[in-house]
Amino acid sequence: MLDNSVLLVVLLLLLLIFAPQQGVYARWRQKQWLRSRAAMEDALMHLHQREHSGRLASVESLAGALGVSTRLASMLVQRMEAQGLLQVTAGGLNLTPEGHRLAIQVVRAHRLFERYLAYETSVSPAEVHELAHRLEHSLTPQQVEQLDAYMGHPLSDPHGDPIPTASGEMPEIEGQSLVDFPIGTPAQIVHVEDEPPHVYAQIVAEGLRPGMVVRVLERSPTRLVLESDTDEHVLAPVVAANITVREAPQEKLALEGERLSALEPGEKATVLRIDDACQGLTRRRFLDLGITPGAHVEVVMRSAFGDPVAYRVRDTLIALRREQADWIWVRRDGNGTTPHRTQGEDDGEVTNGK
Amino acid sequence: MREKVVHACESCALREQLVQMGVRVDRFDYVLALAGNPNTGKSTLFNALTGLRQHTGNWTGKTVARMEGAFEFNGKRYKIVDLPGTYSLLSASVDEEVARDFVLFANPDAVIVVVDATALERNLNLVLQVLEITDRVVVCLNLIDEAERKGIEVDHRALSRELGVPVVPTAARQGVGLGLLVQTVAELVQGRLRTSPRRVKVDARVEQALAELVPLLRQVYPDLPNARWVAMRLLDGDYNVRRALESGDLLRLARREAHDQELEQARAQAVSILSLAQRLQRQLEGTFRDRMVESLYAEAEAIAQKVVRRKGERRWDWDQRLDRILTSRVWGLPIMGLLLMGVFWTTIQGANVISDLLATALFWVEAQGSALFRALGAPWWLTGFVWHGVYRGLAWVVSVMLPPMAIFFPIFTILEDMGYLPRVAFNMDRFFKKAGAHGKQALTMAMGLGCNAAGVVATRIINSPRERLIAILTNNFMPCNGRWPLLITMSTLFVAASFPPAFAAAVAAGALVLVVLIGVVTTFVVSAVLSRTILKGEASSFTLELPPYRKPNVLAVLYTSLIDRTLVVLWRAVVMAAPAGGVIWLLANIHAGGQSLSQWISGWLDPVGRAIGLDGVVLLAYIIAIPANEIVVPTIIMTYLGAGMMTELESLNDLRRLLVDQHGWTTMTAINLMLFSLLHNPCSTTILTIWRETKSAKWAWLGALLPLSIAFGVLLLLNSIVRALQ
Ligand SMILES: Nc1nc2c(ncn2[C@@H]2O[C@H](COP(=O)(O)OP(=O)(O)OP(=O)(O)O)[C@@H](O)[C@H]2O)c(=O)[nH]1
Ligand SMILES: [Mg+2]
Repeated sequence: MLDNSVLLVVLLLLLLIFAPQQGVYARWRQKQWLRSRAAMEDALMHLHQREHSGRLASVESLAGALGVSTRLASMLVQRMEAQGLLQVTAGGLNLTPEGHRLAIQVVRAHRLFERYLAYETSVSPAEVHELAHRLEHSLTPQQVEQLDAYMGHPLSDPHGDPIPTASGEMPEIEGQSLVDFPIGTPAQIVHVEDEPPHVYAQIVAEGLRPGMVVRVLERSPTRLVLESDTDEHVLAPVVAANITVREAPQEKLALEGERLSALEPGEKATVLRIDDACQGLTRRRFLDLGITPGAHVEVVMRSAFGDPVAYRVRDTLIALRREQADWIWVRRDGNGTTPHRTQGEDDGEVTNGK
Repeated sequence: MREKVVHACESCALREQLVQMGVRVDRFDYVLALAGNPNTGKSTLFNALTGLRQHTGNWTGKTVARMEGAFEFNGKRYKIVDLPGTYSLLSASVDEEVARDFVLFANPDAVIVVVDATALERNLNLVLQVLEITDRVVVCLNLIDEAERKGIEVDHRALSRELGVPVVPTAARQGVGLGLLVQTVAELVQGRLRTSPRRVKVDARVEQALAELVPLLRQVYPDLPNARWVAMRLLDGDYNVRRALESGDLLRLARREAHDQELEQARAQAVSILSLAQRLQRQLEGTFRDRMVESLYAEAEAIAQKVVRRKGERRWDWDQRLDRILTSRVWGLPIMGLLLMGVFWTTIQGANVISDLLATALFWVEAQGSALFRALGAPWWLTGFVWHGVYRGLAWVVSVMLPPMAIFFPIFTILEDMGYLPRVAFNMDRFFKKAGAHGKQALTMAMGLGCNAAGVVATRIINSPRERLIAILTNNFMPCNGRWPLLITMSTLFVAASFPPAFAAAVAAGALVLVVLIGVVTTFVVSAVLSRTILKGEASSFTLELPPYRKPNVLAVLYTSLIDRTLVVLWRAVVMAAPAGGVIWLLANIHAGGQSLSQWISGWLDPVGRAIGLDGVVLLAYIIAIPANEIVVPTIIMTYLGAGMMTELESLNDLRRLLVDQHGWTTMTAINLMLFSLLHNPCSTTILTIWRETKSAKWAWLGALLPLSIAFGVLLLLNSIVRALQ
């Protein structure tokens, strides 16, 4: 008898402590969360995004975006309203000027960090967003500025979204959805939406990136066929709707050539360009080694297992992996014609040292 | 360290004037910096001038930290700083930053840019950048002997005219041209030589941006000699330059000293400069770097075209033919295995002979010494502590450690000097890629075979942080020289013993290759696990330079590896071994409750030891050996000897009797011990090095505990299986 009542008390106590939502522990966690920088910053980002797209956020949409209960979301809204970051209006949640300013800074940190992860470290594209989302909240304003300076004040994140300046200006991206872009006209991708993740993963898997030039070949209610430099891509309309394009600028149209990785040992070629999508560490390395437009490359040998291949660039033997060689666009040197770029030097003649 | 230069110098009056002063850099009149692309012979030149023995090697990134030395010429003292090689001053990997910051911020009196005459274009890219920073430059056109062999002729006079600074052709290894080089440098630093460095013509849009930024900089810093370059760095978003601007350091650069008031003013104006720079940078839409480098290379190409002449057919042939074989699908791996096998075989064969000789001699001394002590009436504990403790520890380490090292290091260094190591990295990269690691990890692993701490430092050549961490954390799985004696002893005593004597050495070498292979496989597995868990990410940014094959400089190699490496490593072992010998003797001779301390401790450790197929004494030895793995074998032997009835040990056969007959070791025990030695935690020096290199206690802990738990895990598993099968 006694035993049972003890057991009951213990059970009740445990319930009191660990009950989901209402338990002591859950409440403590909720309180911690409400006070956290992450919650506020994520909320600011959501409100800003909604404002940008023309529909105001609501408590429900906020709860959905942050993955918490409506009750908790409304507590967060109250808190932020008290701090003067937002106003609750009939139409939804409105950012105050102060809220707006903060939101831009959060967006800035997020996009800078995404860019850093994508180009300077080796996090896979599909994981960048997730990781940036978790880590961005721990950045101090100084670190954000350092990051910005370190990467040379970049204009856009890896998805093509503009990065706001330190003073809060944010250039708009101009373009239209790929879904209703005219057939046949060369289009340059300016933005790829990274939410929802499974759609984004599909776009990444197709190898479609901001900066790329594509052409719509055919369109039906169920699919869209695209042509890029090297491949044909078939996309569902929901996927295509997440890609923003604009008419490709003239200079991008002249693009031709093939990837360096397509060449066989013994073949020679001239570098046309480094792919736009190759940024950060890898691009700087290439440039340092003299892989610039006009440089001559000779494929020398494959390694024992075939993968890294050694190339001779400017009299130096350099091994590159396939992925790296993919970034380099070249024109095969035909027999007899050795294209040579003459620079804007005063004389093209070879002068003898007398 | 004061010695006259003996190398051939063309104007022999110079011989009398140049005095190498080694590391004595306390008082000097001028500071010189040695900059240049990797693997162009900077360290070789440094050694030739200072008489030091800085390590050189035929692969990119041999030097990763700066090194200072000195020489005297015509009564003036010069401090000379050897910098890590860099392709450009624009990038920012750890080793390259060292070079860049020195050239820019330390304000040397002259910069000697060492260039490779066989790849002038690529080297000129860096020269042109240095010329933007300073006009006190001498170009050292090195490797002319190699260029000549390849039928490449560089007109150094024309090059000098093009660049506007003196160019001196040299062959640093043979000592050719060094006199003239020093003479030229001396004239430059004393202001008797004027230079008018060539400035790069940049792309119109960059020029436009510069036209806005440079005047503002000049206005704030009227004395800044290289405002144009600072502006370029700001447009590129160079963090260090930006900071120098914000802190006012740039002012000091301009004049070496500045008043507080001026500093204050400069700092205030930094804000407006920076915001202008940022605006211009955005206008260039992040294309600054591309435009800049394209201009640099275009200029380099144009210059090279004027001064380089190739004679008829190029003679790459020998190199290429060798490469075809060494990296071929069929022969690549077998040759690598055979080379490794050969190195081990030679090491074991040679080491056996020398070891026996040394042991006989050193233990004879022990017998004489202790007899002398006894004759003089010293108390037993003094004789014991000094001769059977401290001295015996030393003697064991010397006789066991010295021979394999003295043989292994030179052979290995010769392979390194020939340029074979990067080919190994090239062949093995496929596996590294699969494991999410960098192919250059193969190079750092090779360095790890010598010393893990050195291997950890060498990881600086890997320029992506994630892959570098992986290389650091797994370097321990390459058995370092401190562990060789144990591995060699075990494979000779136990594995090879069951084969006819004629094959013994070959079998022992095979066993060693197998151990290294297990280490390599473990490295791949652990790397793969790391890059899928805590160091998540994809293999990235891989470039690997394959230098031309070079004839190894055998004499220099023998000197560096024997005198330098072997003695240094040996000294470390000795410093650790003598106190350890004392500790062991004390543990064996202080009794409590009828048992010696070492018996107590090994008794406690015994259950743990047994579980992994070893015993308490071995674990005790590993604990005592945390400072240096070298002393594991001596500690085991001495603890056994202290506890057993045999006190003298004169040959390997005695050792075998001690282990097998008295302490019940089996082949399985030996295998367990070898595995444990391969996998367990790195020595304390390595752990400290990890901490220094990663600047994080977390990684240092992981670097120590990860291998340790793997060692226990593997042995536990292996022994459970063996027990189950019996
Ligand atoms: N034939 C020839 N070989 C040379 C000459 N100078 C240096 N070497 C060799 O070139 C290789 C590289 O020399 P190092 O002095 O280590 O080069 P480094 O510039 O210090 O290289 P890092 O430290 O990697 O930047 C070594 O194998 C040298 O023996 C030379 O004048 N002629
Ligand atoms: Mg060096």
